[in-house]
Amino acid sequence: MNDSLTFGDLATLMKSCAGVSVDPAEMESRPAATFEEFGLDSLGLLGVVAALENRRGAPIGPGAESCRTPHEFLALANDRLAA
Amino acid sequence: MSSERRAVVTGIGVVAPNGIGADAFWKATREGVCVLDRVSREGCEELPLRVAGEVRGFDPQEAVESRFTVQTDRFTHFAMAAADLALADARLETGGGSPFDVGVVTAAGSGGGEFGQRELQQLWGKGPRFVGPYQSIAWFYAASTGQISIRGGFKGPCGVLTNDEAGGLDALAHARRGIRRGARAVVVGSAEAPLAPYSAVCQLGYEELSRSGDPARAYLPFTGDACGFAPAEGGAMLVLEEEGAARGRGAAVRAVVAGHAATFTGTDGWQRSREGLAHAARAALAEAGCAPEEVDVVFADALGVPEADRAEALALADVLGPRASRVPVTAPKTGTGRAYCGGPVLDTAAAVLAMESGVVPPTPNVVDVAHDLDLVTRTARPAELRTALVLARGLMGCNAALVLRRGSGTDRP
Repeated sequence: MNDSLTFGDLATLMKSCAGVSVDPAEMESRPAATFEEFGLDSLGLLGVVAALENRRGAPIGPGAESCRTPHEFLALANDRLAA
Repeated sequence: MSSERRAVVTGIGVVAPNGIGADAFWKATREGVCVLDRVSREGCEELPLRVAGEVRGFDPQEAVESRFTVQTDRFTHFAMAAADLALADARLETGGGSPFDVGVVTAAGSGGGEFGQRELQQLWGKGPRFVGPYQSIAWFYAASTGQISIRGGFKGPCGVLTNDEAGGLDALAHARRGIRRGARAVVVGSAEAPLAPYSAVCQLGYEELSRSGDPARAYLPFTGDACGFAPAEGGAMLVLEEEGAARGRGAAVRAVVAGHAATFTGTDGWQRSREGLAHAARAALAEAGCAPEEVDVVFADALGVPEADRAEALALADVLGPRASRVPVTAPKTGTGRAYCGGPVLDTAAAVLAMESGVVPPTPNVVDVAHDLDLVTRTARPAELRTALVLARGLMGCNAALVLRRGSGTDRP
């Protein structure tokens, strides 16, 4: 089972935690685009991090909540989750 | 006085147990339809609160974007939907001009109980890490003002009043103040959602709450059978505009918010509210430059508690004199229940619509009036209505009165 987090997983979390609909392909194709541009506010990202941590049963660690872009977030999360 | 910036009603948005949208609400109100029913909300089955006015035809998914259904409570869904309806009704173009021209004021007494309950269940069921971050803002009394402001880009004078049910009228006065100080328009009102089990339980401490299980008898103010009030969810938002700006864009001036006053008489017996209501009504009339003889209709608070009903009837006698027994008084809320802060705003909406239609809506279910009042019962009564007095009281001792003058907009059929 591949444990790495995908843009699709992130889009699903953004929908369930904050009600924000995003196209995973668009997130993937726009590395510089921020969560804010996709309609996710800081509380929303907090919710995404908590949901992810609750699901994995392990903390993603400091900094996850302050990631500005989906690309930055996935890189950090996958790095931590692989460790 | 002529140089004063007057606040006028140009739009009405309603989400009420008896109708969504001003037209549906007014049709049901004028016909005296009673929609009080047994509480059907899951989790409320065993509660001694058995009859209430539920908003059943409301689909939040349809009314607001999905992020708001996840991030905000039902009371905010109601308020946002009502604000949309009011803005559409006013045909107010909010895109042009300065964002600081338009403000938002709401009143709230119940807050986001449904959302809060869900998160509290997460807290004790799974632990603190399972409480969602939107709990920090969704339950909060100011949530509706904030979300309407952000969504519409309204950066003018914004506020929230949490001073009891009468706050619904005080919100209108607060909005009017914003207009006097320079705002072009304020989206103002209140909508409540107090029927989640958690919110319902919070109300069980109120001895004024009706415990009746019979929808036709649960809320009978001004009668010998008065046994408390039935609560309701929902409310209304209005667009209040500066008169010159409204006329300048060709908007129909539906009514003038001519006078308001508020008093506080505490919780030590409902008889004290006589003086509080009378003082508020007199001060509101004085501010409106309106003689008591000019009052054509009274929308009563009508709590449904014998002592409180008596106090209100006596307050009306104090203010209106011998005419008190001849001025039509109505309490359409007996058909829907009291929506806490949303209730007085619904009464205000009904008063505007009544003046436009030239009819006083009836007081559903109420037949034998036990006070010296001309309470309009059974069917609507045609009347030339130029001035309406709206009264409101809160369970914690706030009293308020609002005087509305008929506008020069088009009449309703």
